[in-house]
Amino acid sequence: MALIKDQQLSTRHTATPKIRLVDWLGDDLTTCDAVLTSGADDLTSLITNASKLSVIAIEFDTFADGRGFSMARLLRRAGYQGEIRAVGDVAMDRIEFMHRVGFNAFELRDDQDAAQALAKLGEVTVHFQPSADGKGPAYMM
Amino acid sequence: MYAYNQFDQTLVDQRVEQYRDQTRRYLAGEIPEDEFRILRLMNGLYIQRLAPMLRVAVPYGLMKSQQLRTLAQISRTYDKGYGHFTTRQNMQFNWPTLESVPDILADLAKVQMHAIQTSGACIRNTTTDPFAGVSADEIEDTRPWCEMIRQWSTLHPEFAYLPRKFKIAVSGSSSDRAASQVHDIGLHLYRNKAGEMGFEVLVGGGLGRTPVIGKTVRNFLEPQELLSYLDAVLRVYNLNGRRDNKYKARIKILVNAVGIEAFAKMVEEEWQFTKGKDLRLPQAEIERVKGFFKAPDYLSVEHSQSNLKAECEAHPQFATWYKQNTRDHKQPGYRIVVVGLKNQLQAPGDVSHQQMDGIADLADEFSFSELRSTHDQNLVLADVAQRDLLDLWLKLADIGMARANIGTLTDMINCPGLDFCSLANAETLILSRQINETFDDMDYQYELGEIQLKISGCINACGHHHVGHIGILGVEKGGKQVYQFTLGGSAANDASLGKTLGRSIDQDQVVVVIGQILDVYVQQRETDETFLQTVRRIGFAPFKERVYGTHQRSAA
Repeated sequence: MALIKDQQLSTRHTATPKIRLVDWLGDDLTTCDAVLTSGADDLTSLITNASKLSVIAIEFDTFADGRGFSMARLLRRAGYQGEIRAVGDVAMDRIEFMHRVGFNAFELRDDQDAAQALAKLGEVTVHFQPSADGKGPAYMM
Repeated sequence: MYAYNQFDQTLVDQRVEQYRDQTRRYLAGEIPEDEFRILRLMNGLYIQRLAPMLRVAVPYGLMKSQQLRTLAQISRTYDKGYGHFTTRQNMQFNWPTLESVPDILADLAKVQMHAIQTSGACIRNTTTDPFAGVSADEIEDTRPWCEMIRQWSTLHPEFAYLPRKFKIAVSGSSSDRAASQVHDIGLHLYRNKAGEMGFEVLVGGGLGRTPVIGKTVRNFLEPQELLSYLDAVLRVYNLNGRRDNKYKARIKILVNAVGIEAFAKMVEEEWQFTKGKDLRLPQAEIERVKGFFKAPDYLSVEHSQSNLKAECEAHPQFATWYKQNTRDHKQPGYRIVVVGLKNQLQAPGDVSHQQMDGIADLADEFSFSELRSTHDQNLVLADVAQRDLLDLWLKLADIGMARANIGTLTDMINCPGLDFCSLANAETLILSRQINETFDDMDYQYELGEIQLKISGCINACGHHHVGHIGILGVEKGGKQVYQFTLGGSAANDASLGKTLGRSIDQDQVVVVIGQILDVYVQQRETDETFLQTVRRIGFAPFKERVYGTHQRSAA
């Protein structure tokens, strides 16, 4: 499947993490540095241990589950600098918002055209809210 | 009122093109139905029983005359020549085609309007007191704060896929005219004992299937931290609100499940991270936004007044209208004029394109080219000099909008019901027609005094029936449309939820039952007692006895 990372089509990237957060937490935390999590998982444990990870894949079972947006936002706020990857029901019409809350990688659903999706980043260029990229709202400029 | 700068305009223009592309891809089969549904809802487009319905945002109910003219033009070009004002102070068009919506949005963008977040599981249009900035009993103007909330909530990336819709109302007067206690968040602007302005924050109110009065989550919020606090509430809700059952997904269910103290603690803990940081509103920004809501250039008292007494004596109908449809203004010599959308011929809240153009002209002539929509589906000309009232009244009469029934029985709230809505279980518009036909004696209505009648066509309660003094809820039972009555509700300072009177009533008996309820009131009321006060004093028994004791069980 296509992956957009750091605002580019990525041809060389790691596979979707297979280890779920709960298993990783229950196991030796050093066995791997990439986990799969979702809105149902314990966010506090994830944030506490995030620095040990280089990839956190947040899975959207359904596009309507918006918890992943707040998870990414809180991970970035806590200082996590690794990859936050959106996986699951990920389509071009949501990646701009995902990008703004802190996702920097998007595994697109199979029906999605990657080039078209890339063009969706930055479709709306002005924002009223501070976002993960440090850009403030209009009144701060 | 607020005027877009280049930044606002760019956002709305780009959003139009974004939606145009989404529509194109949907029509080309590139977006699945269920996914496009969410995308179109975020832009106010529903698919109704007969046609799509587009809901246009009127932020906190404030419009320029030019914007209303554009709405009239849109109704002529893309619809059937009329629009409908809703209880969120927005306007709905009932007959646009799905294909034409991007063009409608482009037309709206030209006059600084849009349909962003008028539906969907996101932060909806913030509503407020339709008399904000002009009411004699105002503590502080809510409109600048509504505008700051509008900006912050518009295309908010984190809160676009909430468990369910989210509604905020702001009140800044001693009388709550914004139904703030039945909103997901209700904000009360007030001055504390130290003389500082701030917000009391209520959370978890709402109507729908599980009506709840909001609870205070914070007694006093420094205004500069309004957005950081809202951000904290929304984040706690987004992460913890139920997503397994859409009927249990509103914030009120979360607040009730964990308890208000525990909820407040969750919000406070989250707020510690954001308070005083980038969401803190700079004083310069507050002043900038407030600058858009300065009082207009009022005439002095000597110039704004005429001989009202003589005018009233010469025109008794004008005198009645003055008493019924105008309100006290904070500026001496001025009145607030409510222009009712509740005549005998149109559905409550409906307005024809000719009326829209007509009111726009009257706003230009008499009220600084601005007007407001109200949560009870009327319009307001907020700044009319007393000397112009007679002239305005005559001109309103010319376009059929001078009916002096504000606050009376026929000034009812009514959702569109089964005639349009795919969620509805029962017709509601037929009831408003019957009520208007039956209770056509205005003297009787004046005699009854203030009565808020609110009618919903289904449990989703768009007609706010729970908070009607008399509430009517349409339900379907055994293939038949029947109606449940509630009494004693209120959305004002004394907010309360109406209680069910008894078993459901057949459609053709609804006006009979209303008449019986009013009879009991007239017989039992004490001097100067309003309908609501009487219901609260005497309880339900006399009403039950009159309604159910005198005719056969009318529905299963």
